[in-house]
Amino acid sequence: MGQELIKIKGGADGFQLIVDSSAKLEEVQAELEKKLAENPEFFPEGTEFKLVVADLNKNVKKGISEFLTNKGLNIANSTNTAVQQKEQPKVNVNTQQNQGQQAANSGISQQEMTVVNRTVRNGEQITSNGSVMICGNVNPGASIVAAGSIDIRGTCRGIVHAGAAGDIEAFVVADCLLPTQVRIANLIARSPDNIEKNNFAEKAYIKDGQIVIEPIER
Amino acid sequence: MSEVIVITSGKGGVGKTTTTANIGVGLAQRGKSVVLIDTDTGLRNLDLLLGLENRIMYDLVDVTEGRIPYKKALVRHKKYESLFLLPTSQIKDKSAVNPAQLIVLCDELRKEYDYVIIDCPAGIEQGFKTAIAAADRAIVVTMPEVSAVRDADKIIGELGRAEKDNISLIVNRIRPQMVESGDMMDMSDIDDILAVKCIGQVPDDEMVVTSANRGEPLVGNPKSQAGRAYANIVGRILGEDIPFMEFEKEGLFKRLKKALGI
Ligand SMILES: Nc1ncnc2c1ncn2[C@@H]1O[C@H](COP(=O)(O)OP(=O)(O)OP(=O)(O)O)[C@@H](O)[C@H]1O
Ligand SMILES: [Mg+2]
Repeated sequence: MGQELIKIKGGADGFQLIVDSSAKLEEVQAELEKKLAENPEFFPEGTEFKLVVADLNKNVKKGISEFLTNKGLNIANSTNTAVQQKEQPKVNVNTQQNQGQQAANSGISQQEMTVVNRTVRNGEQITSNGSVMICGNVNPGASIVAAGSIDIRGTCRGIVHAGAAGDIEAFVVADCLLPTQVRIANLIARSPDNIEKNNFAEKAYIKDGQIVIEPIER
Repeated sequence: MSEVIVITSGKGGVGKTTTTANIGVGLAQRGKSVVLIDTDTGLRNLDLLLGLENRIMYDLVDVTEGRIPYKKALVRHKKYESLFLLPTSQIKDKSAVNPAQLIVLCDELRKEYDYVIIDCPAGIEQGFKTAIAAADRAIVVTMPEVSAVRDADKIIGELGRAEKDNISLIVNRIRPQMVESGDMMDMSDIDDILAVKCIGQVPDDEMVVTSANRGEPLVGNPKSQAGRAYANIVGRILGEDIPFMEFEKEGLFKRLKKALGI
């Protein structure tokens, strides 16, 4: 995984846009364009971004703000919460994890929860910029996309994407986890072709740069 | 109190029209007055299954466009006096009838008949939306196959979004031998995904095809397993509590004969 110049995290009060202080404006714009295009359903017009930067060049800041405005998105009053990013040629998964924790500790990413009390069927998509709890099954052909984590109180056979805006600490738990695909942040794992049904709950999360699935108690 | 029921599936060719014809005849056998509406405009064949093609004078589009009163377009069944078919146009397409028109028509039919049963076209486009618009209740037909169940799931979701909450399921063309050997989804696999009340399990039966070709639905025919299964479905629609039957599996002898081609 190469160095990420920008990172989008979902929170109760909208999204945080975390920008590496060494980033150049063109790079940020290109990267933003890509991120926004990946999950357009996430960022409807009027979505607010909170800019989190460690002493970013004024011009870059202004450029980002203009870029977002052109897309119909807003920038909220930017905070100067320093997310330490010294010169690092490569950001590995672990440092990113620490970063995430810092942001969480500073209380910005309190997540809201979307609760769905029914079966999510083929062709349906649930998206949330917080976390999602499904009290029912997620059927094949259905997808759940959350900026936060996903908890399924039932059988999951569809596609689940936790941490869709880049949060690598997000996870997916289900009473019975048989997804077509699990995605966490920008990692993807597909289920083996002949998957067996277990009768214990499982959790999928990122460990050492890979998605792993483990049984859990609940 | 009359009821409007739509028979739908998503996937094509799973047995909607066959089911509509059999339920219609079955309800008429039980003394109910029934109108069957074919909404598969442009691809009609409910008339063929009922052996009524040569009696058609007018069609659904003539009625919804106000050219004739609906009574003129109804074709009475040869054998069951209380069973009527409202055929559709073979020339027009699905855009010829809209949901509002079907609601108006069904509200008129409710005053005179016990049951209105609507044969829905395959798909989830306008034809589907029109067919379900007037329904009080939906019966989803599927087959024990991954793709048919997948489509049924989609349709159940669509019905939910259209606020049609009375949904039941018929699983058609079950082959007990294949279910037993694990080569076909069984009822619990299907229920696991769809999770709606099942009111019918119909085996795959050659007599369904031969009876369709003759234009005589086989519901109630004691010689046919499918005929008995359809009679049970009719009973369940009428609110009877009927246990599901065990299918006879092909005996060793019959299988041997098949394998040898005799
Ligand atoms: N239980 C059964 N056993 C054997 N053959 C069957 C059975 N049910 C239906 N068939 C056959 O399957 C074919 C398709 O049935 P039918 O026309 O009722 O499906 P449909 O869902 O109405 O199709 P369409 O989507 O084209 O309207 C027909 O040839 C019919 O005879
Ligand atoms: Mg048909």
